[in-house]
Amino acid sequence: MIRFVDIWKSFGGKAVLRGMSLEVKDGEVMFIIGTSGVGKSVTIKLLIGLLGVDRGEIWVDELRVDTLPERDLYPVRKRIGMVFQNATLFDSLDLAENVALPLRKHKGMRQRDALAEAERRLAQVGMAEFAHRYPAELSDGMRKRAAIARTLTLDPEVVLFDEPTTGLDPLSARRIDRLIRTLSDEVGVTSIVVSHDLTSIFSIADRIAFLYQGVVHMVGTPDDFRGSGDPVVQQFITGRSQGEMETPGF
Amino acid sequence: MKAAGNLVAGTIESLGATAIHLSREVGGITLLLGRVLRCLVPPSMDGRELVRNMYRMGNRSLPIVALTAFFVGGIMVIQAGMYVKQFNAAGLVGWGAGYSIFREIGPVLIALMFSGRVGSNNTAELGTMTVTEQLDGLRALAIDPIRYLIVPRVVAMVVMLVVLTVLGILVAIVGGALFSSLLLDLEYSTFYYSLVDNLDWTDFLHGIVKSAVFGMSISLTSCYFGVSVRGGAIGVGRAVNAAVVAAAVSIMLLDFFLTYLLP
Amino acid sequence: MSPPLPSLGLRRRVERVGAAVLDGMDAGFELARTFGATVRGVFRSQRPPGEVLAQMYVIGNKSLLFVAVTLGFIGMVMVYQSCLQLNRITGDLSQVGPEFLKLLIQEFGPSITALMLATRVGAGIAAEIGSMKVTEQVDALRMSGVTPIDYLITPRFIASVIMTGVMTVFAVLIAFAAGGLTAASSFGVNANTFFDPGRVRVFDIALGAIKTLSYGMAIPVISGFCGLRARGSSEGVGAATTAAVIGSSLAVIVLNFIISGTGLLLLGDGR
Repeated sequence: MIRFVDIWKSFGGKAVLRGMSLEVKDGEVMFIIGTSGVGKSVTIKLLIGLLGVDRGEIWVDELRVDTLPERDLYPVRKRIGMVFQNATLFDSLDLAENVALPLRKHKGMRQRDALAEAERRLAQVGMAEFAHRYPAELSDGMRKRAAIARTLTLDPEVVLFDEPTTGLDPLSARRIDRLIRTLSDEVGVTSIVVSHDLTSIFSIADRIAFLYQGVVHMVGTPDDFRGSGDPVVQQFITGRSQGEMETPGF
Repeated sequence: MKAAGNLVAGTIESLGATAIHLSREVGGITLLLGRVLRCLVPPSMDGRELVRNMYRMGNRSLPIVALTAFFVGGIMVIQAGMYVKQFNAAGLVGWGAGYSIFREIGPVLIALMFSGRVGSNNTAELGTMTVTEQLDGLRALAIDPIRYLIVPRVVAMVVMLVVLTVLGILVAIVGGALFSSLLLDLEYSTFYYSLVDNLDWTDFLHGIVKSAVFGMSISLTSCYFGVSVRGGAIGVGRAVNAAVVAAAVSIMLLDFFLTYLLP
Repeated sequence: MSPPLPSLGLRRRVERVGAAVLDGMDAGFELARTFGATVRGVFRSQRPPGEVLAQMYVIGNKSLLFVAVTLGFIGMVMVYQSCLQLNRITGDLSQVGPEFLKLLIQEFGPSITALMLATRVGAGIAAEIGSMKVTEQVDALRMSGVTPIDYLITPRFIASVIMTGVMTVFAVLIAFAAGGLTAASSFGVNANTFFDPGRVRVFDIALGAIKTLSYGMAIPVISGFCGLRARGSSEGVGAATTAAVIGSSLAVIVLNFIISGTGLLLLGDGR
């Protein structure tokens, strides 16, 4: 179980997270939603220590992770994988080599075995035929799928997705949704998905956390959200641009 | 009067700011050096990346280094030649050219060319990787960017610069011999013996040690500026500029100190 | 029966080398044409008013400290090395100062300053013009009836010629002073003995001036040329910048070789 306890985080004097608290249960698909710039990506980056908290605690089961030095974060990062918004594949390696990299480094495989295993995993996300292409030659959706395959090589218990369907065509987006759902149902992976894709949110989420003004404004099941009388929540999920909701930057 | 006072105050302020900025960069580079050294003793880096970088860097800079060295050999001979005509000292051409090529011009100029070619490219690559979050991607996969990305590049650059300097010095000497024959009617044997009789291994080593130190400096500055990029594509451009300037100044500074310290 | 064709691999490799050579020659002709157009642009007044002064300021601002530090250190190193060697052989250091000045004026002052400027100024010009090219501002200029070369390269050309001269003089002075300092402090050479310009001849000054002028012309033309050929996005600009620095540096070395060599051949039997 993952627990965020009263997290505060500021950038350049501006407080983005102001006492955010959240619990994520094992095996569930939790969506973190909210408008742009509200701190969704910050939250998951704090979890694996790519950013540091100003105040608060983050717990993974019995381990407190926000105070760990960089070296001690590596075991945590093998249990919690992250798929970045722009896939962040290494552009000097082809897809197979990209996926093989963590296999070589952490499972001690030799290059030939690692490449074979990498091709198998790429096949699982439907990318086998592009195994020897370079990231720059592929579309966003393909890169995202390859990045997911790469993150899964370490068999993580938790996977963080930073806006997995943003910028993708509907077909690719639904494919990614299905992948996330399958991971949870068949493998028992806990997924924390940062998103503002309403279709994804309402089709695959087990629970949703709505981030607003630096705190978790509401957390519940999709049905809870659909039936909520809260005006801010209603404005977000119906995608209206007018209303009481404070939207920074507009 | 007040305007003059303001000008002075402003100048001191900007000098102070520059000093703080400078010490921050130097501090950052020294920290990086420490972390790199820890991965070298005992040697622990990604072998695949090491080989790939050595191949690319050597490939990329060999033509330019060879061309530069060839003409520099000629220039040294021409300079020596002006004295030959004056003092009729043909026997000193080999020595004169060889001395400066081995100890100064060779290592310094080749290091400058290397910095311009390989150093700037390296900074641009690492800078782009930083901006596109590939470094964070490595960390998220529990792979240490220093061990995987930076140390191989540092080692590759040092090794390749030393190799290129040796090759460059040879090409410069050959070029020198050629041009002293063409322009000064000097016998190849005169040139050769003049060089060999007056210079020894310490002169050659002087240059090689310098090139190794230059290589270390170029690689550390280019990697440091690459991974501390902020601000997108423009930031990358700025980092490349800063890296090349820092490398050039450090080469001059180090050359100065090494010239005093080495035999 | 026709002779058998060479293997495909070999043929491809030869084709690639041939293509590279042809590309190189094409680029060479383009460069020459750019140079001609730039010089012509000096006499037409299509540049924005005050641009030359602005460019001169940019060049001076960017490189003053850099050149000062670099040439200062080089002056010290060169004098140190010379005194060391001379002590080994003759022990007479009285001529170091005058000879050093001669060498500075005629060779190292212009050339090393130019190499430093090639890095700083050349990169800057290529990056600026390259960015304009990939964001289509150069096309926009052409649409408004302005020749990009006249508008962009020529003012930088004029500024560079002037500022390279200024920087070189400055560099020679700094290197000479630094060298004198070293000779005095490490080898006890008397200041009057060192700072003696007696051995400098008109020939040396002429050679130095021709080099300075040539370098001042070559750097902006080559860098501007690379900038105008930038393609793609920020990567293309980066590639153009690297090409400009390498090309300008190489040009300085080759020009140095040609001018010095010519000087040597003209020298005849002594002076």
